[in-house]
Amino acid sequence: MICCKECIELLYSYLEGELSAENETALEDHFADCPPCIAFVNTYRSTTLLCKNTLKTNDIPDTVKIKLKEFVDKNKPDVL
Amino acid sequence: MEFPDPTKGTLTEEQLVKDLQAGEMGSFEQLANLYQKKIYTLSFNLTRNISDSQDVTQEVLLILFRKGHTFQGKSAFSSWVYRITINASYMKLRSRKKEPKVSIEDVLPAFNQGGFQYEKIQDWSENTESLLFGNETRNIIQKAVDLLPDKEKVVFILRDVEGLSSNKVGNILEISIPAVKSRLHRARLFLRKKLSNYFWEYKARKERK
Ligand SMILES: [Zn+2]
Repeated sequence: MICCKECIELLYSYLEGELSAENETALEDHFADCPPCIAFVNTYRSTTLLCKNTLKTNDIPDTVKIKLKEFVDKNKPDVL
Repeated sequence: MEFPDPTKGTLTEEQLVKDLQAGEMGSFEQLANLYQKKIYTLSFNLTRNISDSQDVTQEVLLILFRKGHTFQGKSAFSSWVYRITINASYMKLRSRKKEPKVSIEDVLPAFNQGGFQYEKIQDWSENTESLLFGNETRNIIQKAVDLLPDKEKVVFILRDVEGLSSNKVGNILEISIPAVKSRLHRARLFLRKKLSNYFWEYKARKERK
């Protein structure tokens, strides 16, 4: 059986679906017997989700939006 | 020949590049509308500073206004926008006081000699819904991302936050795909560890109450 350390090394490729069938089976066999690794996978995945949801919602503040609008009006090239 | 109404609807990137090349009226506003949020959020996630991000957005828009119409390809256009945004953000960071480097090595759980985990590991993944909307959690997440070294941070933001492919990220940063993957994996391990420590404390605090 592969160890936890090897599992964590393979984790990225596993989640991308890039592992060979053999490695994938080895990993899943390991998970079946190893709650700490299951917890690790779950929290590894959640990390991406949490960070994405948090950082994606950093919208442009209204004061900056107004400044940008002024900037665009002033600096856009004259066409035709 | 039909003229699209520039005040209405959202143009695709491809159409926009065409309009720019044709000197279409209104295409510059469209350009700003389509890209300013992308530019601002990327810059803000790299610099974590509102006025720096505003400066960067203006600098990048100016470059787009001046050079956008010379652009040939379509898929490469957004890569180019990302690249100049990253460079402009790095210029801002460079003028700032250097913060102490954080080690990204200590990101794995404890293993015994056989490579097996022996610490109890908390699975907080099912509680994230209730935790996510707290301001405290938001701050912790932003701080954890800010602690990442620049190389890992930019890959993490482009790949996991912006959702770009490894190919595209490699192209923007001019690094190999294996380099994208290994930096991303390290960034995720680092952040997972930071968040785990935080949720552990959070839970302990709740239980004490
Ligand atoms: Zn394990």
